[in-house]
Amino acid sequence: MTSAQKKRVTARRELSGGVAPSGLAALVPLLVPGGLLVLGLVLPSFMFQGDQTASRIGLGPAFWPGTMLAALSVLSAVWIGYEIWALRRAGRRSLMTAPREDGPYDMGKALIGLCGIIGYGWLLPILGFAIATSLFIALWCWFGGLRKPLVVLPVTLIGTIALLWLFMGLALMPLPRGSGVFDGFSIWLLRITGIY
Amino acid sequence: MAALELLGGGFLAAFEFWAFMTILTGLLVGVVAGALPGISFVNAMAMALPFTYVMQPTQSMLFLGGIYVGGVFGGSISAIMINVPGTPASLPATWDGYPMTKRGEVKRALAIAVTASATGGLVSALMLAFLSAPFASFALKFSQPEFFAATLLGLVSVIAIAKDQPIITLVSLVLGIAIGTVGVDPLYGQARFSFGVPEMESGIRFVVVMIGLFAIGEVVDLLATNRDLRPKKTDGKPVGATFRDFLNVKGAILRGTGIGCLIGMIPGAGATPGAVIAYGIEKQVSKRGDEFGTGVEEGLAAPEAAKNATTGAAMIPLLTLGIPGSAATAIMLAAMMLHGVNPGPLLFIMDPTMVYTIFAAMILANVMMIGAGIGVAQMFSTLMRTPPAILAAFIIVLSVVGAYGVRNNIFDVYVCLAFGVVGWGMKRVGFPSAPLVLGVILGPLAERYFLTSMANSKQDWTVFFTRPISATILALSLMFVLWSLAPGIKSLFARARRASRP
Repeated sequence: MTSAQKKRVTARRELSGGVAPSGLAALVPLLVPGGLLVLGLVLPSFMFQGDQTASRIGLGPAFWPGTMLAALSVLSAVWIGYEIWALRRAGRRSLMTAPREDGPYDMGKALIGLCGIIGYGWLLPILGFAIATSLFIALWCWFGGLRKPLVVLPVTLIGTIALLWLFMGLALMPLPRGSGVFDGFSIWLLRITGIY
Repeated sequence: MAALELLGGGFLAAFEFWAFMTILTGLLVGVVAGALPGISFVNAMAMALPFTYVMQPTQSMLFLGGIYVGGVFGGSISAIMINVPGTPASLPATWDGYPMTKRGEVKRALAIAVTASATGGLVSALMLAFLSAPFASFALKFSQPEFFAATLLGLVSVIAIAKDQPIITLVSLVLGIAIGTVGVDPLYGQARFSFGVPEMESGIRFVVVMIGLFAIGEVVDLLATNRDLRPKKTDGKPVGATFRDFLNVKGAILRGTGIGCLIGMIPGAGATPGAVIAYGIEKQVSKRGDEFGTGVEEGLAAPEAAKNATTGAAMIPLLTLGIPGSAATAIMLAAMMLHGVNPGPLLFIMDPTMVYTIFAAMILANVMMIGAGIGVAQMFSTLMRTPPAILAAFIIVLSVVGAYGVRNNIFDVYVCLAFGVVGWGMKRVGFPSAPLVLGVILGPLAERYFLTSMANSKQDWTVFFTRPISATILALSLMFVLWSLAPGIKSLFARARRASRP
């Protein structure tokens, strides 16, 4: 490694809080604007569905989104230019700086949490609001470190019933009841709680 | 003098038991509805509309006015406490309010927010009572080009919130505006970027994007860092705000109030541009401008004052001209018309008692909001003492219900979750999400005003520059951009000068 290269690596390490980004992480400052540039260039061809074309009266419906996507491409290109310049020079900081956490950040826990939230959204129309919500609250509490059944159980049950009352009872929101047997269960639950 | 007498009469009417209880109930409903992400105060006003059938016309306006005043503030409670804005106008409260919560100063942040909001609202209500006529004639001069210029001012003010990265902020803003173009366009009726999904033709609602970007990422971070959001004493300082805190932010409150009053009376502008512009200007004016975004009191107070200052101002075109400037005032117009009351100049002659009772109620509602806001905030801050796992689970459930409730559609939940994942990723790599949200909120408005201005002027671009008010606002936008970028440009020149030295 030449002295200039060493200087660059040291500077980047200092800027990233002592840990030099490696592999894909080091490429993120280029991948994000690169992806946005591609989006800005490709999306105009997908603006209208099928064989539809933009109205030719006045500026037309394609003008505003087209202009915004063009602006997105130009700005992304400028951003890429800056990142390449920053990569080549020691002491230059990338435009994107990841937040500094006060304590350790458990990435595994974060990813499982994200999957849990997506799973909740996916199960909502299948299991219905009552079952999906009570399952989600119980599992999230357990995963979040709350393991006492005497706390988790009442929080889950009272919380779900309170939410049902607030949204389906008072605000008259038609929250999902689930499909098949779960729909029947939801109707039974709503009758028992006096909402239906 | 006559105005003072009429206002005195209005106060007497507003202090009658049932009138007073109506304002208080409306205020509490508004604060709670505003604080729940997705259940905005506008929804609460729409839900309350049928209840106003059984009320007297004045009483119905007091009720809806109470919800309006309380709701505009309520959105900041969730913004400050859990980093999820309850209403779009509360977005700036997340930038400096939530960092205060992270430092354990949640009660202080809420006290500053409610005081700033009440002051802004009070000044605005007084302006409504005494200066309606001249401001109404000024508001009447606004047309589509002026609306576009005002929206553009709101959009460019986002550059001021960028620390030292205007390019990345602009990319985020433009991306947000592009997301806002999904769905049927406002002038030609053609669907764009629907990709064959029928739900996409109705567009992507900004509330859904906002909930996804802010709530989900925050909850996941709460889980991954085991962060403690409970109020705590720091360095012997009291948990709540002190009188000195309010004195320190008085300038920010006054500036925010002035901006809010000006922006609020422009029909269609609303509280969001008012709050964002106030934040941007305060960042430039404040001695601690460089620290904005880390929990600076002025950064919280200015937009809070501005957004509530738009409430009274937005009533001016409604009551004097019969023009509703926002969704909330449109519901109030509907309530008036349901009771056979036609707002406009004649109303001041035909039923001045009603008009001045509304004025008095707006003043009263803002004073009462300090108590109601602190009470509700106290209730919500007690919730902060619950274990983070329980708090996080309920935030997610409320967010999902909030997204679903926008159109009672599961598709919006999927969109919200997708933006949640994107928002979490953006946060991890340091890509700003606030400009994107602002783009989704203001982008469709800007597009509508731009296209209609062009259509009305037979595609003549000069329409934006030949109309005095529009040209002035555009010049202000340009000055604002230059003002915001000046420190960065200066340091760039200084660096170049240093580099050129031998």
